[in-house]
Order: sequence, then C-alpha cells, then structure tokens
Amino acid sequence: MKTFSSMRTILGSIPQLTVLASMIALGACKKQNEDVLQPSGPAVNEEEVVTTVELTFTDQETPSQVFQMRVNFDDVGDPEAMVDTLPAQRAFDVVVRLLNESVTPAVDLTGEVRAEGTEHQLFFEVMNGNLSTSYADADSNGRPIGLVNTAITGAASSGGELRVVLRHQPDKAADGVAAGQVLNAGGETDVDLIFPLTIE
Amino acid sequence: MFIPRPRSVLAFFLSFGSFLVSAQSCSFTLKGTVIDEHDRTPLPFAEVFLLEVAKGAVADEQGRYTVAGLCAGPYTMRITHLGCEPVVRQVDVRSDLELDVRLEHHAHELQEFEVARNRPDENVGQASDAIDKEAIERAAGLTLGEMLATFPGVTVLASGPTIAKPVIHGLSGSRILVLNQGIRQEDQQWGSEHAPSLDPLTSERITVVKGAAAVQYGSDALGGVVITEPVELPRDTGMQGEVRAQGVLNGRGGGGHGMLQGGVKGLKGSGWRVQGSGRYLGDSRSSRYVLSNTGVRELGASAALGYRDHRWIATAYYSYFARELGILRTSHIGNLTDLNAAIASSEPWYVSDPTYGIASPRQEVQHHMAKAEVGYAVSDRGRVQVTYGYQADDRQEYDIRRGGRSNIPALDLFLITHTGEAVWKHWLGQRLHGKAGVNGLHQENFNRPGTGVSPLIPNYRKQSAGVFVLEHLPLSEQWELEFGARWESTLLHVAKYDLSGILINPEHTFRNHAFSMGANWALNDSLRIRFNINSAYRPPHVSELYSEGLHHGAAAIETGDEHLGSEGSWKAVLELEGSSGEGRSTFQVTTYADRIHDFIYLLPVGQQLTVRGAFPVFQYTATNAWLLGLDARFGQRIARDWVWELRASTVRARDIEKDEWLFQMPSDRLENMVLFEFPSQGRWSAMEAGLTSTLVFQQRRIPAGVDFASPPATYHLVGCQVSAARTSGRRQWRVGLRGANLFNTAYRDYLDRFRYYADARGIDLTIWVSCTFGAPRTE
Repeated sequence: MKTFSSMRTILGSIPQLTVLASMIALGACKKQNEDVLQPSGPAVNEEEVVTTVELTFTDQETPSQVFQMRVNFDDVGDPEAMVDTLPAQRAFDVVVRLLNESVTPAVDLTGEVRAEGTEHQLFFEVMNGNLSTSYADADSNGRPIGLVNTAITGAASSGGELRVVLRHQPDKAADGVAAGQVLNAGGETDVDLIFPLTIE
Repeated sequence: MFIPRPRSVLAFFLSFGSFLVSAQSCSFTLKGTVIDEHDRTPLPFAEVFLLEVAKGAVADEQGRYTVAGLCAGPYTMRITHLGCEPVVRQVDVRSDLELDVRLEHHAHELQEFEVARNRPDENVGQASDAIDKEAIERAAGLTLGEMLATFPGVTVLASGPTIAKPVIHGLSGSRILVLNQGIRQEDQQWGSEHAPSLDPLTSERITVVKGAAAVQYGSDALGGVVITEPVELPRDTGMQGEVRAQGVLNGRGGGGHGMLQGGVKGLKGSGWRVQGSGRYLGDSRSSRYVLSNTGVRELGASAALGYRDHRWIATAYYSYFARELGILRTSHIGNLTDLNAAIASSEPWYVSDPTYGIASPRQEVQHHMAKAEVGYAVSDRGRVQVTYGYQADDRQEYDIRRGGRSNIPALDLFLITHTGEAVWKHWLGQRLHGKAGVNGLHQENFNRPGTGVSPLIPNYRKQSAGVFVLEHLPLSEQWELEFGARWESTLLHVAKYDLSGILINPEHTFRNHAFSMGANWALNDSLRIRFNINSAYRPPHVSELYSEGLHHGAAAIETGDEHLGSEGSWKAVLELEGSSGEGRSTFQVTTYADRIHDFIYLLPVGQQLTVRGAFPVFQYTATNAWLLGLDARFGQRIARDWVWELRASTVRARDIEKDEWLFQMPSDRLENMVLFEFPSQGRWSAMEAGLTSTLVFQQRRIPAGVDFASPPATYHLVGCQVSAARTSGRRQWRVGLRGANLFNTAYRDYLDRFRYYADARGIDLTIWVSCTFGAPRTE
C-alpha cells in the first residue's frame, strides 16, 4: 500500500516538476552567462559626466586677444582651475565648452547640449564685478541656450565672482528664464560653479 | 486606510474573548472529548478551532477541550490532530454544549498533521497582527506597505506616492524580513527606493510579527517579519473561481484580479490554482496639484499545483510580478542648492496636466519566484519538509539623461537567489514539540554592463548556511514556553573597481547566532500575557560596505565602510491582551525594548564640491541604539451594532554613542474608528460602514544637523469604508467603497522621502466589487 501511494506521488509531481524546471530555465536564460565576480568588461566609463567647464572670451575688436576661465573636477581633491584676468571696458564673444576628461581621450559634450538645446540652458550670474553677459544663441524654439554669448566689461574691479549654472530640462518658458534668471528655471543642475572675477 | 471588520480581523487579534458579543448571550461554553474513531481512546492535544471567531483550544491529555465565552450562533469547527485528517463540523451554539468529536486516527497513514503550530502568529510570546482575505479585499488598491500600516506599530517608509515599504517598530528595509509564500523576498533589500515586488491579493492572510524572529527566519528579521501566507490548495472540490475589479479615483485608474482553482479528477488529493492580476494608474494628485510622473502599472500571475496524501505533501508554485512606476518628476534634482530651492518653494517646480504616461525617472521591475516543497511524515511523531525557492529579480532604473540616454537604464541589476530549507517537525515525549532544521542561501547580484554609469551596488555573491532548533513546551493550561537557537554563517564575495579602475575581489565572512525565549501566560479566560526575548542579526548589506558616489534622488554622496560588522539586536516584547464586560471591551497593549549594537546608519561628514555644485557627504557608520516603544489597541462595543476602536503607537529611538535621537523614526500616531454593522436583509449580509480618523503628530525627536528640512507638521486624515455581501445561488458578490483623505487635506509625512518636494496624495475613492463562484471553499 505504501509503495502505491509513493508511486502516485511521484507520478503526480511530474507535471509540477516540469513546470518548475521550465520556469527556472525561463528566468535563468535572461542572465548573461558570466561569473559575477569576474566581469568581462572594464570599469564603467562615466559617459555623460561633465568634469570640465571652459569659457573662452574673445575680444570682439581684436580677435587675437583670447582669455580663458577653465576648471577641471576630474581628480579627487581640489579642482584644477585656470582663470585669466579680463581687460576693462571691452566687448567679448564668450563660447562655453563642456568636457568629460575622466575618460581618455576626453569627450566634448558641448555638441550633446547644443543638439538638445530645448532641454538645456546655461545661466551666468555676476557678483561684485563689472561684467554683463547676454545670450547670443537660440534653440529651435527661439529660446537661449547659453553656449554662445556676448559679454561687456566695465571699470576695473576685483574680488568679484562669476557663477556658471547648467540646468537640464529647465522650464525655459518660465518667468525671467529667457532673460537669464535661474530662479524659476527648475530642472536639474548639471553644472554649478563659481570663477573668481578680476577686471583690470 | 481601510477599516478592519471586527468579525474577521479583530477577533484574530483578540483570541481571548470574542469581540462580537452581545450582552446577554456570550457566555456559552463548548466542551467535549476528542476520541479516536477506531479504538475509542481519547486523543490528547488535539486542536479545536472555531473559524468564525478564530478561537480555539488544545485538548488536554484526556482529550478534553473547552472553548468558553461563545455567543449564540452557528460556528464552523475544525478539529486537527497529529496523524489525523482534519475534521470540519458545523455546530449551532444555543446553550452550553457538550460535543464529543471522533477523529479517524491512523498511526501509519498520516494525513495532514501539524506537529508544531504552523500559524506564525501563534509563536509563543510573539506579538503579531494579521489581516485576512476579506480585509485584504477591502484594502483594494493599496500596496502591501500601506495595507499593513493600519496595525499599531507599523508605518510606511515612502518615496512619493508610488514606492512604499513597511516599517515595523521603527525599523525598515533590510531590518525587516518579508516572507512571501514561505520564501525570503530578496528584491527589496537593495535600498529604500525599492519596494517589495509582490501582489498582496495572492495571499489568504498577511501577518506582521512585531518582534525579532531570527531563530526561525534567519538574518534581517531584526525589527519584525511580514509573512504572506499561501492559500491552501483545494483537494476534492470542483472548479471554483473569483473575479475582482476596482476603480480608483486618485490616479484615474483601476485594477483587476482573477483566480481559478480545482482538484484533479482521478487523482485524489491533487489541486491546482492559477491567478492573474493587474493594476493601471495615471498621475496621482495632491490636494493642490498634480504629482507629475507618478503612474504605476503592475502585472502579476501565479500558478500552483499540489498533492497531498497520508504521508506526502508536495507543492510547486510559480509567480511572476512586473511593475513599472514613475518617480515624482520634481524629486529629480541636481545638487544641494536645487534641494534647498525645492524645500523653500511651496509648490513643486514641475507640474503638468495629469497623464497616464510614465517618463524618466522611472523603474521597471520584474520578480520571478518558483517554489517546490515536499513534506513526508516519517512517523506518527515526525515530519520532514524540504523547500527550495528560486527568485530572479530584474531591475532597471531610468534617469533623466543627456544625449538620448534616458532610454538606457542608469541602473541595470539582475539578482538571482536560491534558498533551500530542510525542517524536521517533531514530538519529543508527551509535551515537548518543535522543529529543527538547516537552511541555505546562494545569491548573485550582477550589474549588466552598458549603463554608462558606475554602479552604486557592486557585483557580489552571497552564500549563507544556518542551523536552528525551536522547541515548544506547554506546561499547563496557563503556561506555555518556547525556546530556540540558531547559528548562521555568511560568506560575501564582492567584485568592484577601485578608484584607479582595477578589479578587486574583497571577501567577508560573518558568523552570527540568535536565541529566543517566549512565554504565554493565560491568567484567566479574559487576560493573557505574552513575553518574549529574542536576539537577531543582520550582516551589513553590500551597499553599506561599498557604496561610493552620488545617490541620485537623495542629492547626497554616500560612502560605505568595508570594515563594518554585523548588526545585532536583543529585543524584548511584552504584550497584555484581554477583555471585559463579557467581551464588550477588549484591549491589547504591546511594549518593547530593542537594543541594537553596531546599528548602521548614514552619518553626515561634511560637504563635497563638485562640478555640479555642493553635495552633502554621508558615511555609513555603526553606533549603538535603543528603541523603546508602545502600541495599544482598545475596542468597545458601544451599542448592539456600533463598535469603536482606538489604536495608538509610539516609539523612541536613541543613538547611545552620540546621545542623540535616531533619524527617520516614525512619529506618534493615534487612530480612531467607528463601525456600524447593518443587520442582514434578505440576500444581503455583512453590511457595514465605518469612519476612521488618523492623527499623525509632528516628529520632534530628530538628530541635529542630519536632515535638510524640519519635519512636517502634525496632520489629521479622515477615511471611510462601506462594504456588503450578497449571495445568489453559488455565487457570492461583495461590493465596497473606500475613501482616504476625505477632506483633501494637504500634508506631508515625515517618513516620506519625497516630503522635500511635494505634498502627499489628496482625496482618494476606491470602489471595488468581487464575485466568488463555484463550490464554496473548504476551510
């Protein structure tokens, strides 16, 4: 009697085991056939991280006069900054470049930002300095991006600051945003840094 | 926010003294002897259980049982005994009744029998609460976490309206174990924005054990355990089924659930069940604005097959659960400046018209679970049960990214877990019975390449093995004791790249043990004391050891500490439960003290300047902590059809080392409920209407300098619930309406991680209907 009931059990559980086995196979085949502890790929390259922001000021009257503000946050520790003093009472074209220097060779991300111009905007805030900036580019909706700008320096000043902010997916139609005010822009901050500003 | 129906729910909580008692007729006693049908000898220690009131008794050595304090009415009585087929009988109680029950007892042909008590809430000394099938149904549309939050001492850790995790006695995440159909649910341990992927509707009953329970369940059961119990498979009955549908106002969506089950012709003892469910919701609304990008879609399916005979029990179970959810758009921020701007603003910066679309940031989760279980009765006094569980968790998280990368997951994880268990349930001598067993786990976490983002949680392999014993000793009718011990070893292998891009494979071994001791003392029929003291442990999670980098959404840089050891806790729980006025008043008071050593938390250690601006830096650190708390429940039948219930909970959590409060602990809360039960009319029955009021106080006990904003103010919410059943032929229809936040109050909850960005959900109404058809379910 005992044997009979065990037999029935074994027979009865065949469909169950089949179902189970196929389920496991289904789940398992989704996984890459790889040792989790020895991944084949190298460490992940952070593709879209901005490490370096570079502002190039070109004198509108004498284009051979070029000034730069550049900062690199690639390495651990203090960022490497290189900031030129700007001459007073001049007008400049200002071009912004965004780079990822955590990978070799470095990747220029400016194109990505320009291509998605409707989803990006740069903002420039001057504190205690005689510098004014205005946008000189536009996205497909006619709203500024901020990769190309003009700037005018006034009288000599020192101890000022130039803050550069890049917002991703801001509300570009919000109040004052097209005029360069970051206050109502929302979105997510991709870049937010401050350059010392000296005008001589 | 649902209101438990006293007949089914409260009675479970108040197993001594029925709640539904009318004054004049609730003192009847049912007693008798359980006898072996063959040789007419009494059967000692048979269990007698009245299903309607969830009251029961264990027969003494002479087979005599007594159930007191019964109201007049019909009852379904289930008698179980070791080595016997359970017997279900209908009894009509109109006076004191003496009823002898004959059981077919076969020493060699063992039918289903339970050596140790199987219900998790019946563990000696353990405080627990449970919701049954009807209450789960009335909570239609809520997530598991929200459903459980009506229990005193249980709250929810949320990330906006779409992600909710249960918090028990102040602890959550990997300090709470979720046992889904008997298998450790492993998918929610990754982090606080990962909710358990399971469909509560697949369970007959969901139990919350409010105490450490490491001896039985292994690591992570520090604060408590959530147990979703499988529905027993049908055996001899014809085909039955159930269909449920629900419509939800807030989110303008709904859900459905269907189930079919039956026996197998020609193979007595076999049963099957298939089940499917889905849920679809658009953007939720707070009282003032749309919570953009908070849609949810869920799809679940499960199938079970089982066989039982005198000696064998075999079950195979498979379930699939998929969820896609949007993460509140406005919570996606860049740096500390953005966060502070969001906190300062009274409205979220991003509000659009409500849609059903889900955009980035979003999560896609798939959870596969398969279980195979075989039990064999070795003898009259012992059964061996072997369980194997397999889980595959597939998780993709999509961020808002530049250069068309929003459709490339920023996090692409695959987690595979195998669990195995062998348990020997046994009787040793006349009284001592319990279980002893071994269990093991093998887990692999794999980051699929191609995300273009350094993973926050590295690849790892975790293996653990444990042995345990848990024995139960009934000393007398008044006293029961339980004690247990476990030893477990965990081996963790990690694969990660260091700062210079070189692969390293650190290894960790964690050896842990746990003890438990519990006692039940029934002073008399209407007063019972439970006490237990348990130790528990939790090896640190990989993220606590090796996190390194920016936690998106948290706007924080989190750093792990590879030198962290296991957390350990000693938790003591004392529960007093009783009734008076022949059951018209009931009460339950639970107090607990939890001492956690090497409690791991995120310590703020300053700020780091990045190209994106300043970010706060948090370091995983261990400290020692005390958690002290009290949960209380008081019920009163005001009039024949009116019931009032009060629930309160409070917890105080201190960091001993820093002499400071612990971060993110639930604040005090107070709930009131009034329920009116309508008399049955014709085919309509179980008609009731209730109103709840929930008062959540502002958390004032916070550590200095950790949080970005001060805790939200005290808030008060009102909810309602109406339900009724109608029988027509072999069909039973049930309909109901549930309302939450009826006054559309604007509020934010301290345990909502998105409280910095937006209000919580506004008014919500859910209407549901269900229909059961086919032969009635055998209990």
